[in-house]
Amino acid sequence: MKTLPKLKLSPLIKRLIFVLAIFGIFVLLKPSFASYDSVLAIVQGIVFVGISSVFLTLLITAGEFDISIGATSCLAAIVTGLLVTNQHMNLWLAILIGLFTGAIVGAINAVVVLYGNVPSFIASISMLFIARSVATYFSQAEAIENFPGLWHGFKESWIGQYFSIIVLIVLIIVGEIILNHTNFGKVVASIGSNKEAARIAGVNVIKTKFLLFIMCGVGAALSGVVAVIHFSSARNTLGSGWELYAIAGLVIGGTSLFGGRGTVIGLFIGLMLMQTIASGLVVANIDPWWQTVITGVIVLVSLGVDKKRKKIFVNEE
Amino acid sequence: MSNGSSPKFALEMENIKKNFGPVVALSDADLRIAEGTIHGLIGQNGAGKSTLMKILSGYYPDGTYEGQIKVDGNVVKLKSPRDAQACGIAIVPQEITVSDTLTVAENILLSEFAKKPRKFYFKLQANKDIDFFLKENGIPLQADQLVANLTLPQKQILMIANALYMQPKVLVLDEPTSSLTNDEIETLFQIVRNLKRLGYTTVFITHKIIEITELCDYVTILRDGKIVYSVDRDNFDGSKLINEMIGRKLGDLYPVRSEINTHAEIVLSVRDLIVENPRKPGEKMLDAISFDLRGGEILGIGGLVGSGRSEILKALYRENLVLSGDVRVGDNKEYGKTIPEAISSGLYYITEDRKIEGLLFNMNVRGNITASVLKGLSKNGFLAKKAEKLMAKEITESLSVKPNNIEAMIGNLSGGNQQKVLIGKSLLARPLIFMLDEPTKGVDIASKAEIYRLIHDLAAQGAGVILVSSEFPEMLALCHRILVIANGKYQGEMPGDLSKEHELMVMASGGN
Repeated sequence: MKTLPKLKLSPLIKRLIFVLAIFGIFVLLKPSFASYDSVLAIVQGIVFVGISSVFLTLLITAGEFDISIGATSCLAAIVTGLLVTNQHMNLWLAILIGLFTGAIVGAINAVVVLYGNVPSFIASISMLFIARSVATYFSQAEAIENFPGLWHGFKESWIGQYFSIIVLIVLIIVGEIILNHTNFGKVVASIGSNKEAARIAGVNVIKTKFLLFIMCGVGAALSGVVAVIHFSSARNTLGSGWELYAIAGLVIGGTSLFGGRGTVIGLFIGLMLMQTIASGLVVANIDPWWQTVITGVIVLVSLGVDKKRKKIFVNEE
Repeated sequence: MSNGSSPKFALEMENIKKNFGPVVALSDADLRIAEGTIHGLIGQNGAGKSTLMKILSGYYPDGTYEGQIKVDGNVVKLKSPRDAQACGIAIVPQEITVSDTLTVAENILLSEFAKKPRKFYFKLQANKDIDFFLKENGIPLQADQLVANLTLPQKQILMIANALYMQPKVLVLDEPTSSLTNDEIETLFQIVRNLKRLGYTTVFITHKIIEITELCDYVTILRDGKIVYSVDRDNFDGSKLINEMIGRKLGDLYPVRSEINTHAEIVLSVRDLIVENPRKPGEKMLDAISFDLRGGEILGIGGLVGSGRSEILKALYRENLVLSGDVRVGDNKEYGKTIPEAISSGLYYITEDRKIEGLLFNMNVRGNITASVLKGLSKNGFLAKKAEKLMAKEITESLSVKPNNIEAMIGNLSGGNQQKVLIGKSLLARPLIFMLDEPTKGVDIASKAEIYRLIHDLAAQGAGVILVSSEFPEMLALCHRILVIANGKYQGEMPGDLSKEHELMVMASGGN
């Protein structure tokens, strides 16, 4: 008897099905979970960490790390917020300066890692502390409030309501196209896979990584700026712990933490998975203390979903 | 060369001098490569080949050395690998350098990606183009294969494809055959000859004289940082080339084999051994094999790369799984299922992969030698440093490891000396049976001779030796007999006899 050809699903589709299955379980437990509002709440729950880690995906694919994304987001939010609410600077100029702050943070990380030969993990941990301290100092640990909308009537408009989600979706599409559908993205993956091979092919490894660190910084800053616009306020605690969610999301999504292979859509699916569980547990009236435990378990289980999970940890074979 | 019209040179390196501090790596090296030829470059490790190639690749930028480089008669200044590439110089390095997480097509196109990073990448179109390119150049790869799934030789061929795609004026192959089997070498030669027909110029770097005489139009020999000899095909003379390369008469490369004592006790007895294929768990690597090994005997297991020869050794060493069969050591003893039990029963496996499995590269010679016996060297949990040093010194001196400095980092030793350290480490376990896997891979001729002597001595002192090597002449010269495997089957036994290389090759290829 002939065996049927096996249905081959791409790893991303498998992961998506996994997320939907989890969602389905919670719907069975609590039918009201299947509502537009709860889906919106799930997306809203990952939107800022998502924005801040899109370009982190590229950086990790190139074999480097940036742990400071949350702190950078916070710094950018505080800088932009203060410039507008305290200094009454032009809103758009303040936003530009906020993004520029992220670029500077990224550039400092790049210099320390690429020219100081400090492992990027260590360098960006230091940057995490420094950026958050600077943000705390600037804000004097006070909340920034009454940040205005982008234009008159912005908050009430349709765009204003979905602003952060629109930014996230655009960024995910842009990030995924850059990473997996441009020559630059392939260069990035080759650097993470085998730096020497990339160098031989004429890739300027230092320059490319420098650019990626800056992109990562700007991406994180963008998240902070979007957050301050979204909430009309910001605090020096914004973004704490994002780096861990980002890394967990990347791993679940199928990005190799050793570089060489990355997917921004996978990151999105990974974050969605964690947030679906978190929201679902609340809806199902399970003690919120269990959330983090279950999230931790799911990270491990989801690695098991992928048969080739070894590839996530081992660069070769 | 003829005295008539001088040939057009694709590449000229003139009066190259390069120092590393007080160490002279190259002095007045002149290299001229005629257009459209295959030019062999040979020299031992440390002769300056790799320094010369690093200069040519732009790795050592212009200004860090004296002399000049011309491509097609024009002086070029190579400040980076990108410059070298732009000038039409493509170097295929000896180490496998490919991006495992990308496809074949993406690897080949990488130089293109680097030049035009802003372009979109269309996977299907890229695969179509690269499949055409591969077919055109007779390269047996497929564009959409993931490189992580390629074999080592396929990766080697991929690197040549990478270089070819840049349409180089000069293609430099740095010891491309060191990890290839004879069949694959033939494929490679065909590719290189085909390139010559297409008008390409190739520099072919190798240790092996036979490859020079078979493939090259010219040969240049580098020794101690100088060009010592250059000659064209019509005047090739194998033994002259060897003598020029090593700078002295070779004497006998191989030690005289000692007679085997047919009454010596059997130290290893293998019956109907079936070993697992490590890439396909649960499946056998090859059919059952049985043999005896006597003390003082050197037994070869002959076969091509991937025939299962290494897997047999690794299974005996308990690194790979045994599916069935009976193995006894020494006085008819069985032994356990773990590597420590194999070692304490008297077996020792010396890996072919000294870089990954064999040596601790972030440690010095001393640490590497004593790594496996630290327990015996410790008192109350503290390491007896003096005893450790003494032990390391004894080993390095008896094996004449160079430099004679037990504190030298292992990575700074030549391949041959690293191999000696690896063998030295095994001596401390006092094995009854040494299993050596490719002990002369990436080792220069002078060190090879020393390693041959060592292997001979091990057997002469009563140990049983099992040898696996891709270099059939050394198997035939060293081994008393050779068990040949091919196509997943035991093919038969051959006596060690240097004149039987052709027979061994045919048998190992599975021919009749």
